[in-house]
Amino acid sequence: MAARVRRAVYPLFQPGGPQLRLFRPDFFMAAVRPGVPQPADTAQFRVSMEMTKVDIKNYLEKIYNVPVVAVRTRIQHGAHNRRNHKNQRVKKPDYKVAYVQLGQGQTFQFPNLFPEKEQTPEARSFDDFKNKYLEEEAQRQRGDPRRGGVPDWFGL
Amino acid sequence: MAASRGWRLIRHGRCWLSQAEFSGAPGPPDSLYPPIVASATAKSKAAKRRRLEHFHQRVHEAASIEEKLRLYGLLQRPKYMVYPQTFAINADRWYQSFTKTVFVPGLPPRAAPEAARAPEPGAAAPEPAAGAAARAPGAAAPEAAAEAAPDLDLDELRSLACDALLQESFYQNKKRPFLYRDQDHTPGPFLTQLISSLAALLCGRNPLLAASSLDLNPEVNYYWHHGEEVVVHGHRKGRVDPVRFQIDDHPHLQIRVPKQLPEVVPLESDLGDVPVIDHKPSKLPLFKKQYENKVFIGSKVADPCCYGHTQFHLIPDKLKRQRFLEANLEDQIEVAYRANGIASLFAWTAAQAMYQGFWNEADVTRPFVSQAVVTDGKYFALFCYQLNTLALTVETIQNNPRKNICWGTDSEPLYDVVEDGDVKGFNDEILLQLVQFLLNRPKEL
Repeated sequence: MAARVRRAVYPLFQPGGPQLRLFRPDFFMAAVRPGVPQPADTAQFRVSMEMTKVDIKNYLEKIYNVPVVAVRTRIQHGAHNRRNHKNQRVKKPDYKVAYVQLGQGQTFQFPNLFPEKEQTPEARSFDDFKNKYLEEEAQRQRGDPRRGGVPDWFGL
Repeated sequence: MAASRGWRLIRHGRCWLSQAEFSGAPGPPDSLYPPIVASATAKSKAAKRRRLEHFHQRVHEAASIEEKLRLYGLLQRPKYMVYPQTFAINADRWYQSFTKTVFVPGLPPRAAPEAARAPEPGAAAPEPAAGAAARAPGAAAPEAAAEAAPDLDLDELRSLACDALLQESFYQNKKRPFLYRDQDHTPGPFLTQLISSLAALLCGRNPLLAASSLDLNPEVNYYWHHGEEVVVHGHRKGRVDPVRFQIDDHPHLQIRVPKQLPEVVPLESDLGDVPVIDHKPSKLPLFKKQYENKVFIGSKVADPCCYGHTQFHLIPDKLKRQRFLEANLEDQIEVAYRANGIASLFAWTAAQAMYQGFWNEADVTRPFVSQAVVTDGKYFALFCYQLNTLALTVETIQNNPRKNICWGTDSEPLYDVVEDGDVKGFNDEILLQLVQFLLNRPKEL
């Protein structure tokens, strides 16, 4: 398993040699909301580019005790057509996406991280008050509608 | 982008350059003017509908079945490749939704008069009664059939099966199997030997088998549309297209017969629900490719043996039981067998129906029945499929209450172990079910 640990050089595996074991991996896995609807038993992750399907399976099973049945990965190419203030092309970084199918009938639905706040009566009345005040301010700034948008310092 | 611009100039497969083809039926005889219909070449929904109807009419009026199949699969576009032997999780539910199939566990029950005639004793049993009893597959029937069909010598059949097994696994001196090719080493030759000798033995009892054709490693293909999707990227982005599927199957053995098997249940029966899956087929995962849209049953249209009897599938090394057990996926073992049975049999029966001239606009008028045995050499699972409808496209599925039905058993072992020239724990029931599958024939024979 290739790691991005700074100076560590792991011995190449040869038949008969010891199994490589990592105890504190230097990888991240971020669960993301899928862009297209996924089946209920599939969770979508953004993982480090060096991770393989076997790595992802072991990571989830050993560290998080999540039963994994199948993993499919793909590499998403980051767009390279944005331009900065110097008109140089700026690339968004590439990343690897993993679709993990959970076992034992488990399902995963990405939670709604920004639910609608319930408004208490005081907050609602404060919001109304605020909106009314802002409306009145905007009305004051607008000027005489009969002048058709012409500013009042112009003319008589 | 020159390629996409070029496509717009030449409409692939639909080069209607003259309105003369669209003249259609003349108006009522008292009218001086031709009928007022939508344009055939405008960029409008009415024009598209008219082109579609013209295409349907062309297929309906095709001179021969080959011409009909050629027109049906004329337009090539990317389509999902459905593999009957797949390791995808819960593939059988997805395949049921693609083919509008109801899965009924267990083999189909046969007609009551034949089961009632089963307990008739002895050697004096008349040939039609024995034949009728022997034709009854079903887990409940084997003992009754064994009693009532004494001329079905169980010992002879058992010795035949054991001989074939021992010959392939014990007596013959074979080298080590090639890597990941275990099924070609022993189970494949054993299955071929067993089925060909059983079929030869049972020819006397079943005249249909005598007129049958046994194919070795044939090819079965079927192409169909089911559902709709919006094209995601490319020069056709945004258009609504039917979802296309293709099955390319290679059963190990296949028996084709000149007469059709009888229907199991009436055409309009409803034995359960078809699972509905809202997601795109690519989430199974299923992948798209564009190639020839082939419809083939194993022989060309002119072959007299144009109906299917039984298929025999061999489970590949990738799907063997041990791999599922090591990965803690015991429930997926049966899923793999079921997915194989459903997909292969749907493709075969639907291709048989297309060989008779039916297609999704001209739905089948009689059900098409075929059988299959899926095995990995030791475990056998039997399936029976009745095709009631071919109309799976968006327009034709709307008012179509018919569903295809697949009966299937779980996989049972035929024997426990082979050691020292002896087969231990031979299971007679599986053999009897196999024999009853082979003896299945229309009522007239």
